[in-house]
Amino acid sequence: MDGRRVLVVEDNQLNLKLVRDVLSASGFEIVEAHTGEEGVELAASCAPDLVLMDLQLPGIDGYEALRRLRLDPRFDSVPVVAVTAFAMKEDRDRTAREGFDGYLVKPISVPALPSQVGDFLDRGRTNDR
Amino acid sequence: MPRRSLTKEASITERDRRISEEDYRSLQRDYTDATEQFAAMNEVLSALGRSSSDPDAVLDTVVESAMNLCRAAAAQVYLIDGDHFVLSSSVGLSPEFVAHLAAHPLKRDRDSLVGRVTLDRRIGQVADVLDDPDYGRQDLQRIGGFRTLISAPMLLDDEVVGTLSLYRTEVEPFDERAIALLGAFAAQAAIVVRNVHLVLELEERGIELARRVEQLEALSEVGEAVSSSLVLDEVLSNIIMNAVRFTGCDGGSIMEYIAAERSFSVRSAYASSDELLSRLRGIRVDLETTLVGRAALEGHPIAVADLAAVELDPHLRILFDDGWRSVLAAPVLRGTRIIGALVVRRRTPGEFSDESIEFLETFASQSALAVWNARLYRELETKTAELQVVSQHKSEFLASMSHELRTPLNAVIGFSEVLLERMFGELNDRQDEYLRDILSSGRHLLQLLNDILDLSKVEAGQMELSISRFSARSAMEYSISMVRERAALHGLAITLDMETEIDGIESDELRFKQVLLNLLSNAVKFTPDGGHIAVTARREGDEMAVTVEDDGNGIAQEDRERIFESFQQGHRGAQSEEGTGLGLTLCRRIVALLGGRMWLESDLGVGSTFGFTVPMTVRARDEDSRATDEAHLPVIVVIDDDRASLDLMTAYLDGLGVRVVHARDGEEGIESVRATIPAAVLLDIRLPRLSGWEVLSRLREDEAVAAVPVIIVSILDERARGLALGASEYLIKPVSRDDLVDALRRAGAVGVAGPAPSADGIESARGETV
Repeated sequence: MDGRRVLVVEDNQLNLKLVRDVLSASGFEIVEAHTGEEGVELAASCAPDLVLMDLQLPGIDGYEALRRLRLDPRFDSVPVVAVTAFAMKEDRDRTAREGFDGYLVKPISVPALPSQVGDFLDRGRTNDR
Repeated sequence: MPRRSLTKEASITERDRRISEEDYRSLQRDYTDATEQFAAMNEVLSALGRSSSDPDAVLDTVVESAMNLCRAAAAQVYLIDGDHFVLSSSVGLSPEFVAHLAAHPLKRDRDSLVGRVTLDRRIGQVADVLDDPDYGRQDLQRIGGFRTLISAPMLLDDEVVGTLSLYRTEVEPFDERAIALLGAFAAQAAIVVRNVHLVLELEERGIELARRVEQLEALSEVGEAVSSSLVLDEVLSNIIMNAVRFTGCDGGSIMEYIAAERSFSVRSAYASSDELLSRLRGIRVDLETTLVGRAALEGHPIAVADLAAVELDPHLRILFDDGWRSVLAAPVLRGTRIIGALVVRRRTPGEFSDESIEFLETFASQSALAVWNARLYRELETKTAELQVVSQHKSEFLASMSHELRTPLNAVIGFSEVLLERMFGELNDRQDEYLRDILSSGRHLLQLLNDILDLSKVEAGQMELSISRFSARSAMEYSISMVRERAALHGLAITLDMETEIDGIESDELRFKQVLLNLLSNAVKFTPDGGHIAVTARREGDEMAVTVEDDGNGIAQEDRERIFESFQQGHRGAQSEEGTGLGLTLCRRIVALLGGRMWLESDLGVGSTFGFTVPMTVRARDEDSRATDEAHLPVIVVIDDDRASLDLMTAYLDGLGVRVVHARDGEEGIESVRATIPAAVLLDIRLPRLSGWEVLSRLREDEAVAAVPVIIVSILDERARGLALGASEYLIKPVSRDDLVDALRRAGAVGVAGPAPSADGIESARGETV
């Protein structure tokens, strides 16, 4: 299914599995990355239509991973969405400043997640930074 | 001596009646004598005027005049020194005579005429010393060759201090005139001696005074050090330095008493080598078995004049080995409580003067407060540092808990939802029920976690508000929508009654929703099935007042305040219902942060109404953050120039439901009192510009504030003066929190039952009192 490939960068195995299974069940194609570096690497090879990026990652964090992704012009039109914890308000504000195209709050809502991801795909890039 | 001259003149007139040639010659001689005498007396008098500068010169003048006027061969002033006489001034004596006299002084006995007149206290004469069988100083007679002797006692305050004596080398007894003259001269000499005494005494007193002044300055330095620097070691070294200086010792140390160990520990030393100090610090000076301990137990200084002559305790052993030979130890006491000890020492053996002992005792008692304060402040510093570390750990713990607990919880919640969504197949009823239990428990845990984090943020002052303009109606409808499903499950009706004029408000939307949602969740949770929940919003001045009313069981009076405390749920509704137990605590804090207040009205069996206000604009909020948070609170004005004291008082007052206003000097203090009409004033005495006494007097004279209770909190112990000036209480620093709170209660400034419920923006039940 064209335009439905989602790269999920998430270090926690259970969270990754949850997002993968929920989105797979809704017909999305999922590519998994466990670190920021791996995410940047995989993005180059798998050409995703959307990236879901956890912010707290081992090694480089989500912000740094986004900066590296944006260095590659092939991703100019790929929206990148931050996944951040509810309590971290400062992180949410920062996501917009740092160039994310949106954010999802943890805990993710299982019933809502497929439509939320669909919306991000439809909207495309919203943050030109 | 004018009076004497007049007498002379009178006798001349008398003699005029039977004038003869002989009489005339006699008269002539008398006249000459009188003139000479007058001149001599004048000389003595003028010399007396200079006596303080040179007393010996005056005595010399007296002696010389007496010899000349009485036509004697020699004249001497002897002064009593114990049981013998010392030649103080003389004229006409050979050096041999003087030397012999010095080697064999006259005694207080009847051997010499000088001794006799001293014993008899009146003028005496020996017509011919060779004819006097009782005379015992033939040795002197042989050297001086005198025959006729005359001597007059010098009386000072009825006490013989010496004699004025003359002799002639031929036998020619002194006539009455000479006797009278000698008496007069002896009196003059006595005055000279008195003057000399006075001068010496004055000088001594001057020195003593100067020393007292220095001592007083030293004591006040100690006081200064405590109220300003508060640096323990500085205070202690100041004390010991002054103690050593004013007892004239060579070194010393100050010890602190450690009650838990029943021993003293050397804190600071003066004029002691580093090695000695480290050896002294290395030991504990036991209370029961040492000199210092004994001084403390007996409550007075103990001196050891010679360390070589006594049995040495470990402390004295160290001093002795370091070359110290005498020691004076004074306990530092506060009442009967042992605080420490002052030890001064000398490198030479010898008794300590009463003055030194008395001084050290006084100084030790003066130092007690300083030592005690210094220790309190040090403890305070340590505690503060410990608290900071604990607080830091707490923050780190919460931050890590946030991440570590959330991640697995998210998985629990997420996978439960996946299954309940039937994404991977149908569930039977029991599976569905259990999954719902897992999901709700997971959500409950997450809520608890969020509440804890929020609360700790508020408490740490780290909760930042995000103020924006938003629709109050939308926010309220959103919150209601969040609980509507659950309410419907229990057959609960929720109604919203909102004044139409309210809509846009400036506040923190997220926090506003959080508070309302919390109240709604509680209402849904604790209202029996089929009940009614009414939400209202009204405008009250610059504020919006929101109430959530239920027709549940109500909350008992005794539970109304308690349910705002952490992990308290009160006895309402089903015991099985779960809440985080933090929700209301958090709501109360958030509302206060938003600039509003929260309250509860309840009637058992009828229902409960929770209400809160929020300022509708930022401006109202800023004004109200004072007004609503604190304006309704009683004010306590604290007038103290010392930062540490201010902080301590403020910390003590925290949680009493009062607003604290600081003033750093007397003028500012009076202004603050006039401006706020406080419930009480805490007043220090040692203030810059205007002393506390002056502040107190002025407040008492001002009708508008004369009734405000003033509690003096000072390092000075002048209770009587304070109360006389109209202070309602007098506390001496350092003050404990209990003492301060008790004093405020007695003054009626704070409630009797502990922390006022109005603290933190929550008002107690406005409804019926049970």
